[in-house]
Amino acid sequence: MGTMIQKSGAGYRHSPETLNLSRPELITSFHRAYIEAGADIVYANTFGANAYKLAGSGFSTERIIRAAIQNAKKACEGTDALVALDIGPVGMLTEPAGAMRFEEAYDYFKEQILAGDEADLIVLETMTDLYELKAAVLAAKENSDKPVLATMTFERGGRTFTGVSPAAAALTLTGLGVDALGVNCSLGPDELEPVVAEMTRCTDLPLIIKANAGLPDPNTNEYNILPQRFAQCVEALLPYGVRFVGGCCGTTPAYIAELKRVLEGKAYQPCPKTVGTAVCSASAVVEINEPRIIGERINPTGKKLFKQALADNNIDYILTQALSQASGGAELLDVNVGHPEIDEKKMMVRVLKAIQSVCDLPLQIDSTKPDVLEAGLRAYNGKPIVNSVNGEEKSLATVLPLVKKYGASVVGLTLDENGIPKTAEGRFEIAKKIVARAEALGIDRRDVYIDCLTLTVSAEQDACRETLRALHRVKTELGCKTCLGVSNISFGLPNRELVNSTFLTMALEEGLDLPIINPNIDAMTGAVRAYRVLAGIDKNSSEFISSYNDAAPVVKPRQASFSLEDAVRGGLKNEGAQATEQLLADTDPMEIVNSRLIPALDKVGEDFEKGKIFLPQLIQSANTAQVCFDVIKKHLSAAGDNRVSKGKIILATVKGDIHDIGKNIVKVLLDNYGYTVVDLGRDVEPQLIVDTAIEQNITMIGLSALMTTTLKSMEDTIRLVRSTPALQNPDGSSRCVVFVGGAVLTEDYAMKIGADYYCRDAKESVDAAKRVLG
Amino acid sequence: MITLTPLNRREAVRYLGGAGVQMNAEMERLMDVCEAQLRGAAQPKVVWKRIDLPCEELTAGEDIVRHLSGCTQAVLLGATLGAAVDRLIRVAQIRDMAQAVVLDSMASVAVEQVCTQADALLARQFPDMYMTFRFSPGYGDYPISLQADFLRLLDAPRKIGLTATEHYLLTPAKSVTAIAGLSRQPIEKQRRGCAVCSLRNTCQYRKNGEHCGF
Repeated sequence: MGTMIQKSGAGYRHSPETLNLSRPELITSFHRAYIEAGADIVYANTFGANAYKLAGSGFSTERIIRAAIQNAKKACEGTDALVALDIGPVGMLTEPAGAMRFEEAYDYFKEQILAGDEADLIVLETMTDLYELKAAVLAAKENSDKPVLATMTFERGGRTFTGVSPAAAALTLTGLGVDALGVNCSLGPDELEPVVAEMTRCTDLPLIIKANAGLPDPNTNEYNILPQRFAQCVEALLPYGVRFVGGCCGTTPAYIAELKRVLEGKAYQPCPKTVGTAVCSASAVVEINEPRIIGERINPTGKKLFKQALADNNIDYILTQALSQASGGAELLDVNVGHPEIDEKKMMVRVLKAIQSVCDLPLQIDSTKPDVLEAGLRAYNGKPIVNSVNGEEKSLATVLPLVKKYGASVVGLTLDENGIPKTAEGRFEIAKKIVARAEALGIDRRDVYIDCLTLTVSAEQDACRETLRALHRVKTELGCKTCLGVSNISFGLPNRELVNSTFLTMALEEGLDLPIINPNIDAMTGAVRAYRVLAGIDKNSSEFISSYNDAAPVVKPRQASFSLEDAVRGGLKNEGAQATEQLLADTDPMEIVNSRLIPALDKVGEDFEKGKIFLPQLIQSANTAQVCFDVIKKHLSAAGDNRVSKGKIILATVKGDIHDIGKNIVKVLLDNYGYTVVDLGRDVEPQLIVDTAIEQNITMIGLSALMTTTLKSMEDTIRLVRSTPALQNPDGSSRCVVFVGGAVLTEDYAMKIGADYYCRDAKESVDAAKRVLG
Repeated sequence: MITLTPLNRREAVRYLGGAGVQMNAEMERLMDVCEAQLRGAAQPKVVWKRIDLPCEELTAGEDIVRHLSGCTQAVLLGATLGAAVDRLIRVAQIRDMAQAVVLDSMASVAVEQVCTQADALLARQFPDMYMTFRFSPGYGDYPISLQADFLRLLDAPRKIGLTATEHYLLTPAKSVTAIAGLSRQPIEKQRRGCAVCSLRNTCQYRKNGEHCGF
């Protein structure tokens, strides 16, 4: 359509979709030309007809789409041709790369889908962001019952602009229940073979190819692949399970006619997938075809600091856990944020999104609550694992439909209303039942990962054998993958690590696929790596060698020749921790904070102000101070003393602004001066800031804005803070102190919008905090 | 196809606000690490389009009129380092904030380098034309809200994956849009610098007696 509009030279205002109203007969004639060339499906001229792109055109989505479908229908009269509602990207990037929330994207698509209810099918195309495409698929499935075809656009190199791989697209879209999937736009059909091959390995669905006519000449805009060659290249791809073919940029009715001619009489050849089961994020696919490590650390159970982080909304703490497990060798991460003091559903969504913004390992959504699982499944980008369903009727009836709808894999626990069966046979029976129920809903048994449950060997010594026997039977008789939390086995015993790693090795030999372990304990990760070598999985031991060959030589701890001050100044974390430990032997902890640590940090801050050191060096010093603080905090909390926080401060980048590096620098510094920072993130609603201040009784608020366009949000936020009665003194004056910063702010402007402090840089934020909180 | 060449570290240091600071070995090491990461992650892409002037859609304020005076045509340019660079900086903010700020400033240098390379590419495309320097939404009184129109006219979302938020922030963040005038006659050397900058009263560089490079 776009090609025809361009070639016709038809003028339009704003966007080509407006031609549906200004030149309906022209649009119908284009469709007609394609139908006469042999097209079975025509895409209505609705690609960019969403509320965002049409803003300023003077037309609504509804009006344009209805007209477009009518124009296409008219062309189809008297033929069998079908009309597709064509939906392209919204035009903004979704979080985290952009600012559009998943839910906003959903709403844009929903409006289009409702307006297109007279079409015969829905086509989602030219997508480069899997998350946005997921929103579109959900909007289509939840607001219509028409067939859904979904295609993405890949660059040379085999990825989309946002880094999505063809395999991840295929797995995710298949799971979400589209009717066909594939590739459009991108490159010429001569370059698409690797993309199509990768997709078909991961899906049994028919594929779609709608390539460009090669590459355009930047000056003439002529494409370099002619109809005959185009059709030949497409024909060569048919064995990959291609069922739908067409043309994108640069193709005309002549291309379609040639396709029709070449493909005449050729039947669709399904191409079964070769990947048994796999899960993915948008950019990384993990096939479960050998033991894969699931990191267990994102879970508050028995972890005081983790619980505190959840209560404080300290997402960075959780992200640090995610990244360190990834470095330790985890291939998937379990995510559990169940804690009585928080809204688990909200937290799950927030944490999943945050982890996916920095870490591309596939995730396992872990909760006992179906509503938390569903919220997580919606928010997740890719194909996740659900942890878990069990043999109880209630669980089967609520969890499995979610697994089906969102296309996940699922962990099945071998327990039911009567608890955990003592024998392997009892657990095997439950596993059988879970698999049968999953299959009845259309869930492939290869996507059910059975957990035969680890019991504590010090309490029931025979239980270990039963677990392993059950695991063996499930693996060999049911053909399911297996999963097992390992660490429980050693509870109550000394040298737990030894017991755990031995049990892990035994379980691997019985057929364990997915050990859930702490990947930062080398004995555990090492056991899996060594097993892969011994079982002949790690060919030529190459992964094993690369994991250990260049391991850093063990460095003997340096003698503490560094004073605390030297360590902070030099940004030397280990030395700082050591010096702090030594001081703690004979110095009051608060004395260390106030007379040594803070003055040392002040000195570095002064040097920064005077232009003697660079910002990164100030940050390194601050991070070293953080390590010293942590040592002191540990010491104090061991003694039940909580004095070390100097007060709470809210930090936020204002609504509309997504540049948050400045705010994050301020956070590092405030943290390291001993303040407790409640970081609300970026693009923050004013109301959330006010609510948090009230809930947590916080009176100091720091706001950041980078752009002139978002200063208004800063002003709005301050106004709301000032006018909220719960944040006022009895005399009506404000209880809150607001400090602000950001590239385009000035002192004058800060005062004008009602801030108390204007902070030019991170150091000045600390100065303000000192004045207010001491 | 654009490939990054070694980055101008003096520029990066200036973006870090450390123009007057004595360079030291530790900073050099940090910059080595960051530059390697950045060049590994960056996927520089540019898109351009020649348009005829006057272009009503892209005319707003006085500065652009002055900038394009005497030009019969103009080139629109979109340039980006790609989404992976944003992610790299995001990850660094969790792992090591000191690295994050260095990466951030080096990425700004890198996207400027991409634009400079694009200038050379355009000069080759239009050998018989004179070209003004690049002028971007947000310069002078040229409204930043025009980002949306630049992106639409360039088909930038589809061609190079470049979009803007509702508040006109470019995403990926390390990106540029700009317009440069084309003329068959030599163009009078235009003034760049603080005098035509809308941030001249608030600029940190200026307060410190420095210059941002514009």
